[in-house]
Amino acid sequence: MNLKDLAYWFNDFWTEFRREKSGLIGLAILATAVLVVVFEPLILPFKGAAASWRNINYWEDNSPNAPPVWTNLLPGKDSAVTGTIKPARVSEATIEGGAVATTWEFEYVYQYDLPPLDLIMHLRATGNLTFQMTLQRPDGKSILLSQASEHGLANGTIRMAATAYGRDACFAFLKQYENADRVGILTSSDMKVTDIAFAEAKEGMFDNPVAQKGKYRILVTAIGNAGTDKVESCEIIVAGRVSGLLGTDNLKRDLFSGIVAGLKWALLIGLFVSFVSVIIGVMYGIIAAYFGGMIDKTMMFIYYIVNSIPVLPILIVFSAVFKPSLMTIIWIMIIFSWTGSVMTVRSMALQIKEETYIEAARALGSGHARIIFKHMAPLLIPYSFASMALSVPGFIVFESSLSLLGLGDPTIVTWGAILHDAMLGNAMLNGVWWWIIPPGLLIAIMGMTFAFLGFAMDKILHPKLRTR
Amino acid sequence: MYKWYAVKRIVNGLVVFAIILFLMSILFNAVNEETMRSSIKEQVRSEAQRLKGQKPEQIIAFQKQRQEQLVKLYKLDRPFGERIVYRWLDALTFRFGKATILRSNRGDRDVLAIILEALPRSMLLFTTSMVLELIFGIYLGMKKAQKPGGKLDRSTSLITMIVFGMPTWWLAMLLIMAFVYGLRLFPSAGIVSVPPPDGIMRIVDVVWHMILPMATLTVLAFWGVAFTIRNIVLGILQEDYIMSARARGIPENKVLFGHTMRTAAPPLVTMSLLGLLGSFSGAIIFEGIFSWPGLGNLYWIAVQQSDIPVLMGDLALTTAIFQVGYIILDLTYGFLDPRIKVGGNT
Repeated sequence: MNLKDLAYWFNDFWTEFRREKSGLIGLAILATAVLVVVFEPLILPFKGAAASWRNINYWEDNSPNAPPVWTNLLPGKDSAVTGTIKPARVSEATIEGGAVATTWEFEYVYQYDLPPLDLIMHLRATGNLTFQMTLQRPDGKSILLSQASEHGLANGTIRMAATAYGRDACFAFLKQYENADRVGILTSSDMKVTDIAFAEAKEGMFDNPVAQKGKYRILVTAIGNAGTDKVESCEIIVAGRVSGLLGTDNLKRDLFSGIVAGLKWALLIGLFVSFVSVIIGVMYGIIAAYFGGMIDKTMMFIYYIVNSIPVLPILIVFSAVFKPSLMTIIWIMIIFSWTGSVMTVRSMALQIKEETYIEAARALGSGHARIIFKHMAPLLIPYSFASMALSVPGFIVFESSLSLLGLGDPTIVTWGAILHDAMLGNAMLNGVWWWIIPPGLLIAIMGMTFAFLGFAMDKILHPKLRTR
Repeated sequence: MYKWYAVKRIVNGLVVFAIILFLMSILFNAVNEETMRSSIKEQVRSEAQRLKGQKPEQIIAFQKQRQEQLVKLYKLDRPFGERIVYRWLDALTFRFGKATILRSNRGDRDVLAIILEALPRSMLLFTTSMVLELIFGIYLGMKKAQKPGGKLDRSTSLITMIVFGMPTWWLAMLLIMAFVYGLRLFPSAGIVSVPPPDGIMRIVDVVWHMILPMATLTVLAFWGVAFTIRNIVLGILQEDYIMSARARGIPENKVLFGHTMRTAAPPLVTMSLLGLLGSFSGAIIFEGIFSWPGLGNLYWIAVQQSDIPVLMGDLALTTAIFQVGYIILDLTYGFLDPRIKVGGNT
């Protein structure tokens, strides 16, 4: 079978495949998935998501268990969205005694019913400095959210969270407006900083805060010596109550990033394992049929043994005992699941073997290898494409099952691993649906994609099954 | 000769089972011996603690001597090849030793007792749901085959493909979230309430616990059953005797469920048994989600507690179940399709 034949065969196949609507849908989803994998760095909202998935510090600025942003579209109260604010203005002023105060002014338009969970300031600094973060409210009042001094910084990063320092200031602010009896039984540790800072200043604001909507200004001031001290790249992160396309989990990780990062592993595992194991199975079947006799008997016996081993249980025990890496898991899957296509291929090869052109090839002096690879394999491999596609979902589910048990490769993010964390984080009990539905749904969608492709190919390659 | 065919098939199955266990003994030899050694150490230590009025040297000497004795008893001092054979013989005779952490309900540490306690619960869940799958699947498959390419056929085939790669345990998670924690209709875990009710209420209680797992399994699986049955039946409906039966004016339902079903029986049995074995294998995760205390859940717990003896025993028993399944499959097939047993080849 040369290249021209192959092109002809493919053309033939494609004209038939085009008529299968479900096959085309499958192809489209697969193409989209491949595109997502290729452009993953552009799509990921958190660039380091894949590498830092288990690094808690990487995710510290997010809010835990935040639902997806689009839940604001549902009826009910709107929640503040997570996001980063860049400074609108920067100004420098010299204070007495040679000190310089650099002030960044941030604008935050707050139009939600429920306030953000935190306001976090980040900047890089060198030297000895004092920092202040002040919130100026639309009603003209202002709250000093936090204040800190740092010494001996060498281009170090500063992180100031409003909730960590702002309790006393908020308590003082509350005292001005709340009725005295209520304030009397409160202490500053009862304060929910953002609830108070973003509420209308009036009596009852502690128990039933009403959102004060409007344009807030956040001022960050850094005071240090002119010349020696340096500050740069200041930004504010609003840790909202809703976050990202798919929300966050209880460790504040952005689930959309995790799911996008998990796609390539699902594709790799599914495609690689099914490709290699089906090719091995096809070659095994052809060789057994071609040589026949004792070789056939021995090979069939080995096939029979491997085929009788339950794959998932042995995978689980193997992973529990040896704690393997992803590549080892992949090879173990191949070792125990190449048997799927052996029997059909063998029976087909037994027929082909008796054809006259094989006899002719042998009479012309072709060796075994030439007959197997040139005359038999090219005829039989196309038939295995359908079973290749149909076995992909099984392998994806196998790997997810392992990861769900906590036995997956700990260095990568897979959908199964996300679901494992969801189980550990009691997502079912707490109704954190955005943590459970997307990863499993994607496993199901990948399964559906390959089922569409496989069934369409099956129909074309095995015409007997066509609807008559 | 069906009898010879059966005997041959069973012997064959036993040989394959023995070979698989041998391979597993080699693969997991290191970890098995490690667990044995640590359990010996633990036993020696606890025995030494019970000794009273002895000098320290005497205790150390006792420990050393006792340790050697036990190592010899468990044949851990033999060469590698011999050790594997002993481990293999242990596994073949279902002597898996004592669990390191897990206990059976009666507090038994014996691995076999723990596993045998779990086995019937798995069987209960999976055979019931398989019966349901077959009932729904056969009915739907027949209906599909009657009008291939029709509206019903096309739409249900589409659903078959949509649920093709859907993990049962994921659907289980969703249903638990909705029906257990959301609507509070079903219990979250287990097979009976604590404390278990008596008499007839106990059966009602078990059924109540079983509804959700059973529904999950059935809802996902019967589409595939229907799809396969459609393909089998579609082939049979082309046969001449079906046409002649229809020509004779036999009611369509009788043709479908009488004439066609008999011919479709052998592949149907194969498929349903293979399906049962398949779902049994996938059940490891599934049972864990529902905390259904069967064999699958046992894997889950043993993995979490890293209880190696239980894990090994569970694996051996699962393999045995698979072998029994394959044997039953071939025997029924031979029984239903006379051509097989005459040939005598398995």
